[in-house]
Amino acid sequence: HAPPLLGTPPRLLPSPAHTAALSLAWRLPGCPSSPSVALQALPVAAPPPSSSAARQLTPMAAAPVASQAQAVLRGRLCDPAFVHSRLRSSPDTNYSKLKYLVSSSVSEACNNSVLLLGPRGCGKGAVLDMVLEDLKEEHPDAISVIRLNGMLHSDDNCATKEIARQLCLEHQLSFSKMASSDDNTEFMIDMLRECGLAHKTVIFVLEEFDLFAQGKQRLLYSLLDAMQSLTSQAVVIGLSCRLDADQLLEKRVRSRFSHRKLLFVPSSLDDIQRLMEHLLMLDKDSSLPTNYVTEYNSRLTSIFSNKKFKGVLDSLTDTDATTSNILRFLFRVVSYMDMESGFLSMECFTDALSSMQRQPKMDSLQDLSILELYILVCMNRLEDKEQKSYNFNTIMKEYKSIQDAYKTSDKYATTVCFRAFEHLLDRELITFADTKGRNVALEYRPVKLLISSRELAQSLKLNTTCPV
Amino acid sequence: DFSTPSKPAPTPTPRRKSKPVPYAPPASPATPSAVRRSRRLLDTPTKDLSEAALFETPAKPKPAPAPTLKRKRAAPSPSPKTPARAEPKRKRQRRAPAKRAFYRKVVYDGGEFAAGDDVYVKRLEGAESDAEDPEEPEDCRVCFRAGGGVMVECDACLGGFHLRCVRPPLRRVPEGDWACPYCEAEREGRAMDRPKPPVGKKIKRTAKEKLLDSDLWAARIESLRREPDGAFWAKVRWYTIPEETAAGRQPHNLRRELYRTNALGDIEMESIVRHCFVMSPKEYRDATNDGDDVFYCEYEYDVHWHNFKRLADIDDEPETKEDPSDEPYNAANDYNSDTDEDSEYDEEDEPAARCSARKNQSNEKILNSWKGRIYGLQKIGIRKIPEHVRCHQKTALEKAKATLLLATLPKSLPCRDKEMEEISTFVKDAICNDHCLGRCLYIHGVPGTGKTMSVLAVMRRLRSEFDSGALRPYCFIEINGLKLASPENIYKVIYEQLSGHRVGWKKALHYLTEHFSDGKKIGKQANQPIVLLIDELDLLLTRNQSVLYNILDWPTKPNSNLVIIGIANTMDLPEKLLPRISSRMGIQRLCFGPYNYRQLQEIITSRLKGINAFEDQAIEFASRKVAAMSGDARRALEICRRAAEFADYRVKQFQQVEQTSSSANSGNGFVCMADIEDAIQEVFQAPHIQVMKNCPKFGKVILAAMVHELYRSGLGEVLFDKLAATVFSWCHVNRELLPGYDTLLKIWQLQAW
Repeated sequence: HAPPLLGTPPRLLPSPAHTAALSLAWRLPGCPSSPSVALQALPVAAPPPSSSAARQLTPMAAAPVASQAQAVLRGRLCDPAFVHSRLRSSPDTNYSKLKYLVSSSVSEACNNSVLLLGPRGCGKGAVLDMVLEDLKEEHPDAISVIRLNGMLHSDDNCATKEIARQLCLEHQLSFSKMASSDDNTEFMIDMLRECGLAHKTVIFVLEEFDLFAQGKQRLLYSLLDAMQSLTSQAVVIGLSCRLDADQLLEKRVRSRFSHRKLLFVPSSLDDIQRLMEHLLMLDKDSSLPTNYVTEYNSRLTSIFSNKKFKGVLDSLTDTDATTSNILRFLFRVVSYMDMESGFLSMECFTDALSSMQRQPKMDSLQDLSILELYILVCMNRLEDKEQKSYNFNTIMKEYKSIQDAYKTSDKYATTVCFRAFEHLLDRELITFADTKGRNVALEYRPVKLLISSRELAQSLKLNTTCPV
Repeated sequence: DFSTPSKPAPTPTPRRKSKPVPYAPPASPATPSAVRRSRRLLDTPTKDLSEAALFETPAKPKPAPAPTLKRKRAAPSPSPKTPARAEPKRKRQRRAPAKRAFYRKVVYDGGEFAAGDDVYVKRLEGAESDAEDPEEPEDCRVCFRAGGGVMVECDACLGGFHLRCVRPPLRRVPEGDWACPYCEAEREGRAMDRPKPPVGKKIKRTAKEKLLDSDLWAARIESLRREPDGAFWAKVRWYTIPEETAAGRQPHNLRRELYRTNALGDIEMESIVRHCFVMSPKEYRDATNDGDDVFYCEYEYDVHWHNFKRLADIDDEPETKEDPSDEPYNAANDYNSDTDEDSEYDEEDEPAARCSARKNQSNEKILNSWKGRIYGLQKIGIRKIPEHVRCHQKTALEKAKATLLLATLPKSLPCRDKEMEEISTFVKDAICNDHCLGRCLYIHGVPGTGKTMSVLAVMRRLRSEFDSGALRPYCFIEINGLKLASPENIYKVIYEQLSGHRVGWKKALHYLTEHFSDGKKIGKQANQPIVLLIDELDLLLTRNQSVLYNILDWPTKPNSNLVIIGIANTMDLPEKLLPRISSRMGIQRLCFGPYNYRQLQEIITSRLKGINAFEDQAIEFASRKVAAMSGDARRALEICRRAAEFADYRVKQFQQVEQTSSSANSGNGFVCMADIEDAIQEVFQAPHIQVMKNCPKFGKVILAAMVHELYRSGLGEVLFDKLAATVFSWCHVNRELLPGYDTLLKIWQLQAW
């Protein structure tokens, strides 16, 4: 039989919406720090399911309401301010603590330095943004925010330059790219003093704070030293997911740092349920028809009290209970909304969960051809033999030895094998072991497996077409 | 119910409260604050003894001789002024200067004016007619007679009232705010006629009123000079009243508030009327009894950009730096010599002219580069003075927070007397000896033990000693190793501070070596000793340690006149260096040990003196805790401040709750042990435990599996493959739902810390 070598599309669920969701699931683990961006990109990436679009033609009444409701819900999920708006009311949240800290240093003209710690996706940045927005409203033009990111500005010179640039921008001054870092530092200190005299607070937001705590930490030192020696009003806010970020500081920097820490932790189960209610319940006084809203809400409440829903929630939070993960989940739920009736059902939640828990590698292992599986198995055998470096030719030798040992009939020519090999490379199930030797022919470049033997064994077990 | 916009929050509360002038927008009732009542004893209107001697004794009320306000200023005045203007200028300087001469002090028209004084200035040439006798005591607003008993000033209309004329009569000067019955009535909306002056008698306006009605100007004399033609001119810096600023009078402006502007003007001495007193908030608060010509000035107003800026506490750096060069070394000692009190600088105002010329084009200047830096920063300021800085009365906790701030300079520096004494004798020895050879002091100690602060305090003290003339002038240069971009830059910085020029570091090194070893001096301060303070000395280490060697080699040169004070954290830094460096540096050392808990306690209590916000045990607890950990004073202060924040937060939250539910008991405004405990927890405890408690189930499983694997293998690290196998087997045994391999990997990535 002819091996399906060329361009087999991954065998996935049929609906295009699901494909989009899967591709999202592929993409998301790579960029954990920007879930909101990925979410906002999704409405473009995922067109409404074509099947439901076809069906929309018949029941004209429900569909516009449903899509309207869906749009409202999606808009909410993509708006961090709305997501965290619940925090504003209660006094014991990080939001109000941070707001108190910053606003007291604005109104009492003092300096502070705060660290916001917590794993990624817990809403450090979102809460900070909300606080800054609110304070800007409360104290118009008394606050200027300087944002630095450890990924971009961990170098001292470049950081001072960026600070000077943003300060200039903020105060409509002209900025010279040519200025030396000494000049920039001096300018920064002068500006801090002037701003302090003008009752203006400069807020330095240092994202990825741990990356600033490398080397001599000149930037942090001069910032914190200026804060303790001048009549300035400045707040340094560091965001980091390293919990020991303050221990990374050098001793004299640490001594000047005013050790306020706010810890952001993944929310508890109750909080998550409340958050879901906050996000999914529709307002009575929205533009949607009232009877629809009441019906929708009552269905949702019944789902929330369902035992099955608790199970879904549990298995979701067992892996990842951060806010960003919840949002990702809810977005899927809303996307699975039945467009005919316009209500969320239990199935939406279970489907969304299963799409969250998809195993992308296993999926792509499932629809490999026999020959490709052979190649993977050969590579695995080579690794078991503790052969450190191997290339296509070594694999072919191993393949031959298997053929000889088991006397199987499915023997393919080397060129066909090579095509399969290339295909595996494209799928990124295997990759080159090193980056050098670009000009070496493909079959001589050393390669390595990107999947573990356990996964391979599992997929072989599950693969129905496998002859073994 | 006296709705007075209360005082600026960060500054000490001044005593005179004011209500908004009638045409200002009605002020929203702010917190009435219990400040001391202004007390103006108008029966002794003069405050300056020298003036009192020159003018007639003002205790005798003058019967307002002129029937009209239009009165020649000079004619009926009983002051010992001669009609001709030129003669009474009793300058102390006798030489007839052929060119412009600058004076520190000029006696003109019977008054003695010195640079730095505040004066009233006539607006127009013609307005002279409006002038009246400068020391006219103010009339009572009720009986229209001056003198005869104590008068009080209304805080709203600034009118004076005899104690006995007020209905009901007052026994003594009231404490706190006081508004006259008329203002009180006005505020309440009642109509109440103010007493009309008796026919034929006009109310004389005092200079203060004229100023506030913008008929006079106030200015500060920057410099005094005599032109070649003999006329006396003064360069002045104008003050402006709130109405004349772009923002207008703001509701929270004080009645007696003035703004200092950055506009300079040249005026003839003739137009100066007399002295007034513009005071900083602190002085203003203390000046209860200084008469009518007292004004309050906290902000500087930029006339180009129309914005406000707080005045710096200390005068700007360049001014203080220039000072020693202006004055001859022993000027302070011989006041009676021929050349007393005037220092003649040839066209010294040139830089000022240059400066103002540059200011005009400053908009285009690029600010973060060196040349344009100083000019154009004026642009930064606020359009309006924000209300929150004024309309806020400080609670004890907020005051405590402010004093515990690292940036606030404490009034006294306890616990470092011995060390400071040592530093000061070291510096004095070095300065007073004409040939100071190889003087070098190395100060070490852990961070936060007051090393830099002590040295700076000593230098400040010496500076005041120098100002009083007991010390030779010297040049003080402060450098922080961590603020230099590279160790070599230190030459550049030193040279720039010495000479004011900027060159590359190689050239600077060359010049400096010439300066110190060959005796080719740079700059004006030719033979002054130089005290060089290098903070964070260890940052100057290069691979071949040449920077340190060069710097430490200079003091050993015969006529270098250089004293070096090095500060670093490590005790044995000299030992770690090359022997040729340590032999030059390690001789004289001073150790700042970590503070013990008693000292920390003393530091905190000395800062908190007079503020009743902390429990004593709380302070002791904090200081004991810090002393046990590090002995870092900064840490102790921060912990206390944090604790105060906690308490303040608690109180504020409580107040919010109270507003909504109006519960009875009031919040505890004290910082107690629990707050300190919380603060210490926050500072010293890593939050790992809490995060682990909150992490998802599989995250916990992974952590446990990892610990298990690490114990089993005894290695320092574990591969994910093995870890996954363990997790899967555990899940299998415990019949947990098996997580997928990829999910596990995802959790793994999330948890990676």
